[in-house]
Parts: sequence; structure tokens; C-alpha cells
Amino acid sequence: MRPMTRVAIAGRERRFHFEASAGEKMLFAGLRAGIPLPYECATGTCGSCRGRLKSGQIDAGWLQAPGRRRFKPGGGELLMCQAVAQSPCRLAVAADIRAFREDDVRPDHYRGTLTGCTALTADVMRFEVALPAPVRFHAGQFFVLRAPRVSGYRAYSMVSYAAPAERLEFIVKRKPDGAFSNWLFAADQNGASLDLFGPLGRATFHPDESRDLFLIAGGSGIAGLLSILEHACNSGYLHDHKAALFFGVRTWDDVFFSDRLLSMRQRGAGNLAIHIVVSEQDPARRPPARLSGFSTAHGLVHQAALQALSARSDGLGRGAADTLVYVAGPQPMVDASLGALIAGANIQPMMIRYDKFT
Amino acid sequence: MSWKAVCAAADVPEHSIKACEAGGVEILVANVGDGFRAYPPVCPHMEEYLEDSGVCSNGVLTCTKHLWQWDMKTGEARPPAEKPLLMYEVKQEDGQVMVFLDRELEYEFDRDDPDDDDW
Repeated sequence: MRPMTRVAIAGRERRFHFEASAGEKMLFAGLRAGIPLPYECATGTCGSCRGRLKSGQIDAGWLQAPGRRRFKPGGGELLMCQAVAQSPCRLAVAADIRAFREDDVRPDHYRGTLTGCTALTADVMRFEVALPAPVRFHAGQFFVLRAPRVSGYRAYSMVSYAAPAERLEFIVKRKPDGAFSNWLFAADQNGASLDLFGPLGRATFHPDESRDLFLIAGGSGIAGLLSILEHACNSGYLHDHKAALFFGVRTWDDVFFSDRLLSMRQRGAGNLAIHIVVSEQDPARRPPARLSGFSTAHGLVHQAALQALSARSDGLGRGAADTLVYVAGPQPMVDASLGALIAGANIQPMMIRYDKFT
Repeated sequence: MSWKAVCAAADVPEHSIKACEAGGVEILVANVGDGFRAYPPVCPHMEEYLEDSGVCSNGVLTCTKHLWQWDMKTGEARPPAEKPLLMYEVKQEDGQVMVFLDRELEYEFDRDDPDDDDW
């Protein structure tokens, strides 16, 4: 039996306590216990899971985490996604800790096997993780993954949707300083064993919504949005709702999953519009034949999306109040999109669901 | 402390915000159309610098970090924001925005409840 350590959390309104396993991140232990602690990226970047240690000993984890950049020296602040309790701890979390959705799946630790690695473009890889038993998740959610001998978890959204799923499908973009992506691109890693925690994330889609969908994806941010569209297609949601996807990449050659997008558009039966937006493509080169079924544009994806939204040429036809907006991509692209949606298109924050990654 | 000039009124266009400084204190100045407002420079949620993360639209300031929003004139929180903006007293004099600074306004990150040890 692994030793457990008690962690007590005081939110603004309510208090909670839970037991953490040896070495387990506080955030994961709390979420696993069904406590809806605040978080966004779960990997040290965003700072949303910030707390202040009131008593007890911790290992703060990754000290250079971008989420710590506003911490004041000696303030006792920590990121729950990084910190591990080393003795019984009490922390204060300056947030209203809200309930999960009733049908939310409690996240947990899993061990899975890497399989099906396929290069999609020069710097994007698709892979799957086979799980020992099926898990449920909501379309749009993500897992955090940890590779052997690579420190720290990285977050990846599931690309497809099945409930439950025995295999989780992901895409990863190679980044110069990305430990996980470099590990994956360095050699054939099929068969490797991975640690996972999830499902996580609140930028989710549920077929009981009653709104049109407007989706803006930057690069590999398309992952979670594809899961949402797949669920929308398969659940019949697109029979009586419209959806518009804006997929932004740098050049025509960076567009992946064009066949999957085409098949999705066919299944969308006229209610799914797909726009490809390229930011660094020489306009002299026409889109390749495989993209001939899509509307294409040059520029930044959020600007193209906003323009379409303002001109009502997005194919949705309903007002902003009846549209649910999803944004996923690199943080600067998501922040720019959120600003444009709120200031430029009068979209209410409650209508926007987003997933930022770095 | 006393009234301090933070910036020229002409430096902050209508319906926009600008990060300024007076007497060593960082202040976010907002032009709300018929006047100015002055807040601490950061979001009361996660202390994001609002000059970077803030978007002004229809008299509402939104922090794009987690979409907290406030009425720019009153500082009042709008959902999903959970805390209002603190505000300094502001006046205009000779084309300058003046702020009354008797102490720096800061958001309390959390309450201390030392008498409460039963958790």
C-alpha cells in the first residue's frame, strides 16, 4: 500500500480534503478524488491552479514553470499541477470551486502503450495510446502524457471521439524545445509505455447543446475540435445545427487530415463549412488538388474567422447569441481570437470555450 | 500622499486602457468616453497585466486570460468574474489625468483566517 498524504484546500466558499499518493501532483490527487479544483493546462504553463501553502511541506516541482512568473518571493505560492505534498498540507485557493458537470468523468492515472505513430506532415505526428480498459471522455477533452525518461507531463487533446474508447488518438507538433515531441520524433517509439492522467479540460461539446458551432483552430489545436466535430456528426447534431470550422496553418503543405475533413464535411450534409486559412503561404502558389473541396484564405485564422462572423458569411446564419464558439491553438492565437470575438463580434464570454497550449 | 499626475488625457484614446506609473505605483488608466478611471494594473483573478490581456468593448473590460469582465465605469464584476476592479479617485487638470494616491491598491489573493484551525 502506497503511503497517502492528506491535503486540505480552502476555496473562497468551500473546503475540501483529499489523499494524495506518494509523488502524486496535488491537482491530480484532488481531481481524482472528485474535487473540481481550478486548472486549465495542468502542465505548469497557465497558472490557473495557483494556491498558497498555509501549512505543511511540499516539493514545489518545476520552479521555472511559466505559470509561476507572477509569484512573489516568499509568498508561499505554488502550482497544484506541479506540487507534491510531503507532509499533510493545507492550502488556500482564491477561486470559487465549482461543481463538475454531472456526467463528467473523474480523471485518473493510466498506463498505456504507444502505437500507430504516423507522420502527417514534416512536423506533425499522429499516434495512439492503447489503454488496458476503455475510458470515457467528453469531446474536446485532453489527457496529459508522460514519456519514459522524459520529465513532466504534456497535454494533448484527443482527435477522435468514442465513448468509451480503448485507444486514444492524438497529434503532436514537433517543437525545438518540446521534450515529448522530440522523444516521439527521435526514433520509432511504438510499443513504449506512457503514463497518462485524464480526461481533463472544460472546452467540451455535448449533443444536448442547442446552438450552432463556430470553431477556430490554430495548427495542432485542431485535435480537440475534430473530436467535437466527429461527435457532432455521429450524434446527428449537424442535422439541425450548423457548424463552421476555421483551420489555420502556415502553408498548404502544413494542412493535415484533409481527407478526414472532407469526409466529415460530406457527413455534415451541407451543415458543416470548412475554411483553410494559411498565414505564410506565397499567394502565387494555388492550393493543391487535395484542398480543392475547401474554401481557402490567406491571413491569420482568427482574423479570417472574425471577418466571416461579421459579414455573416460563416455559413451559420444565426445571431452571435445562438452560436457556441470553440477556440484551440497556441496561446497568442487563442488570446488574439478571444479579444477579437469579444471586442469585434460581441460574443459573450459564456459562449466561448477555449483551450490554450504552448 | 496626494493627487499625482499619471498621464496626459490625450495619451489614452476613448474606450481604451493604458498602463501608467505615478510615484512608483503602477496604475491602469482607462478612458471611458466621458471621463477616466484608474485601477491597479493587474487582473484580480490571476494577476495578469491587463494592459496585455485586457480588451475594451462597449464599456466593458475583458481579461482574455480567463474572460473575467468588468464595467469600466464602475469596476463592477460581470460573470464569470468573481471580484470587482479596485479604483482610484481620478480627476482631470490641465490636460493631465490625476489620481489620488494615499496608498497603493492591491488585490488580496486570499483571506487569512488565523482563528480557524479546524480544517
